[in-house]
Amino acid sequence: MTLSIDGLRKRFGEVQALDGVTFQVRPGEVFGFLGANGAGKTTTMRIVLGFLRADEGSVTWMSQPASTWPRRTWGYMPEERGLYLRMPVLEQLVYYASLYGVPRGQARRDALAWLARFRIAEYADRKAESLSKGNQQKVQYIATILHDPDVILMDEPFSGLDPVNVALLKSALLEMRERGKTVIFSTHQLDPAEELCDAVAIVDHGRIVTAGPTREVKRSTGHQVVRVATSTDGDIGWLRSLPHVTVTRPGNDYTEVRVDTGTDPQAVLHAAMSHGGDLLRFEVADPSLEEVFVTRVGALDTEERTLAGVEETQP
Amino acid sequence: MSTITNIAIVARREFEVRVRTRSFGFGTLLLVIGVVAIALLPVIVRYIDRQDATRVAVVVASDDLAVDPVDTLTRLLNTPTSANPDPDAVPDYIVSRVDDLDTGRRQVIDGQYAALFSIERGGDGELAFMLYTNETSGRAAALAWQASNAIAVADRLDRLGVSAEDQAGLFGPAEFGVAWPDPNRTDPIADTAAFIGQGMLGFGMTILIFMMIIMYGTWIAMSVVEEKSSRVMEVVLNAATPFQLMAGKVLGVASVAFVQYAAVVVSGGLALLFQDAIASAVLGVGGGASLPEGLSIGLLLAFAAFGVLGFLLYACLFAAAGSLVSRQEDVNTAVMPLTLLSTVGYLIAVYASTGMLDIRAGWMVALSHVPFLSPFMMLSRISNDGVDAWEVLVSIALLVLMIVAALWVAARIYRAGVLLYGQRPGARAVWHMMRSGI
Repeated sequence: MTLSIDGLRKRFGEVQALDGVTFQVRPGEVFGFLGANGAGKTTTMRIVLGFLRADEGSVTWMSQPASTWPRRTWGYMPEERGLYLRMPVLEQLVYYASLYGVPRGQARRDALAWLARFRIAEYADRKAESLSKGNQQKVQYIATILHDPDVILMDEPFSGLDPVNVALLKSALLEMRERGKTVIFSTHQLDPAEELCDAVAIVDHGRIVTAGPTREVKRSTGHQVVRVATSTDGDIGWLRSLPHVTVTRPGNDYTEVRVDTGTDPQAVLHAAMSHGGDLLRFEVADPSLEEVFVTRVGALDTEERTLAGVEETQP
Repeated sequence: MSTITNIAIVARREFEVRVRTRSFGFGTLLLVIGVVAIALLPVIVRYIDRQDATRVAVVVASDDLAVDPVDTLTRLLNTPTSANPDPDAVPDYIVSRVDDLDTGRRQVIDGQYAALFSIERGGDGELAFMLYTNETSGRAAALAWQASNAIAVADRLDRLGVSAEDQAGLFGPAEFGVAWPDPNRTDPIADTAAFIGQGMLGFGMTILIFMMIIMYGTWIAMSVVEEKSSRVMEVVLNAATPFQLMAGKVLGVASVAFVQYAAVVVSGGLALLFQDAIASAVLGVGGGASLPEGLSIGLLLAFAAFGVLGFLLYACLFAAAGSLVSRQEDVNTAVMPLTLLSTVGYLIAVYASTGMLDIRAGWMVALSHVPFLSPFMMLSRISNDGVDAWEVLVSIALLVLMIVAALWVAARIYRAGVLLYGQRPGARAVWHMMRSGI
């Protein structure tokens, strides 16, 4: 009873874009599909939606092949967001919904309600090109969910959004989860994923590196993180000298260290107490998704991975 | 959603978005004005002509002529150019006599007369003619030369003692006919005027079909590219299949084309139909409704069939070509093979219609059945030469089969092409897409 992606392989010419991508998404959860640009996220989504055919592997939803479900089961927001620029906003929302089989009258009412919710009702009859980028993205989002799909796939929904719109989108996604919808979004920004996702999968070079509930993924490295602050803050030499402890983020307010697998974080507490000064803060936490990502895949700064250029130029 | 419903929804959007634009209204208006103007051209020419009759002066230095040179010149210069001349029309040329050569020449220089025609008797008794004019070429000079021959011959006959009545008999028109070289050929031969008129009709229809294919075909390709470059494609691709999107787009643009063409054909047809009525209103001469020579229901049906089918065949391939590129600048290169193919068919048809190629040649007959060429060539064969009904039906059947094949090929290219961004794929990549579908 899940969205089950099983052993997807896809080759574009010389490049193996997907090399056995496998993961499950449970109904009603928010799922993050994490990876650098070109890791294979878009290709996977396009195969799930049936735009591309996989060389091998299968996609099922509720145990039925994904392609047998009616189109209105799926909502899709592509990374490059498109609207008919010279077409009025309301009219094109009704157009998209009617392609999914939503009666025009109902589509109109729902679209107006959504526009009002996003406070852009006054733009209903304006051409899309006259809207600001942020407002166009709201229209995009409405177009994705107007036909009330069960599974919503979004490709990099947070990229290029200002903080206000990021917050708006986050709350919209959480609302979808409350309505029992399954939301899958890809991202290379890990903060929103950490905040929203019940489960994640990390993809790299067309392979799934790790997948599962966010909490388990975070613990999968075995590391723990300790944030500590004492009244003698300028001096962290004592922290650096501790065995199996690495300072990852020295800071003014607190210092963050990584504690290797098998080492008790309490050792840091004991060292802090014996070092002298007042202990202002001591916190043990799971590593952030970013830390997991860096450990598993490597630094995220290499924006362009092998596939970034290939994904779109090969049939 | 069912395929038919989605195709209809896509087609409806394409139609509405286009028809709403200001350029569509203006374009249609301009086309209608253009077509009406062409249809009414004869009336307009006659109206302008009527405004200024050309004045020609005659000076005769001999008083023993058998015929009145003013009469002869008037008759010849005003020889009617149309099959059914208008008896009440104002003559093109007004011929009058002047007394003195020098005065006459001065008046030609002043522009009072267009020409001065002088007649005098030479030393050998023969008449000598001279035309004083600044317009040294053209129909008037040729007619003046013809008139001088007629006057000279009449004068010689008169001197030989042939009476005016006998002369009338001598100059009566001879019997003249045209026939097929093949004695077994029994279909009636058209008179020259009707033959030319009919050929021109096929010619005009071929131009209309060619324009429709190039103009609206490019339009389809552009709108595919627009959806790709604005990235709307992926949004709608989730809702509808590539085939539905392509078929809807082709049908939507086709209905725009047909609306525009209906406006043009109907207004042009009405203008032709009421040409004489309009002529009588503007020129104050009589006349009723009449159809152009050679226009038959059969020809109109063939025009409609080849126009619609030819357009559909090319249109789905234009859509496929558009799907291969992602920038507007590349559209022309992508549709080039289609433009070339249709231009070949069009040019052969035009050369055949104007008589530069033999329309009855075997290769012409064979090519006129080839689906990509038949929309142009069959029409000019029908209108010029007459074609058996079964031949037309065969070429239409072949055209329909080819449309089905083209639709299949185009849908596969389109399916792969719409997700393709970046470089334009080469012929090999296109072949691969067609075979594998994606």
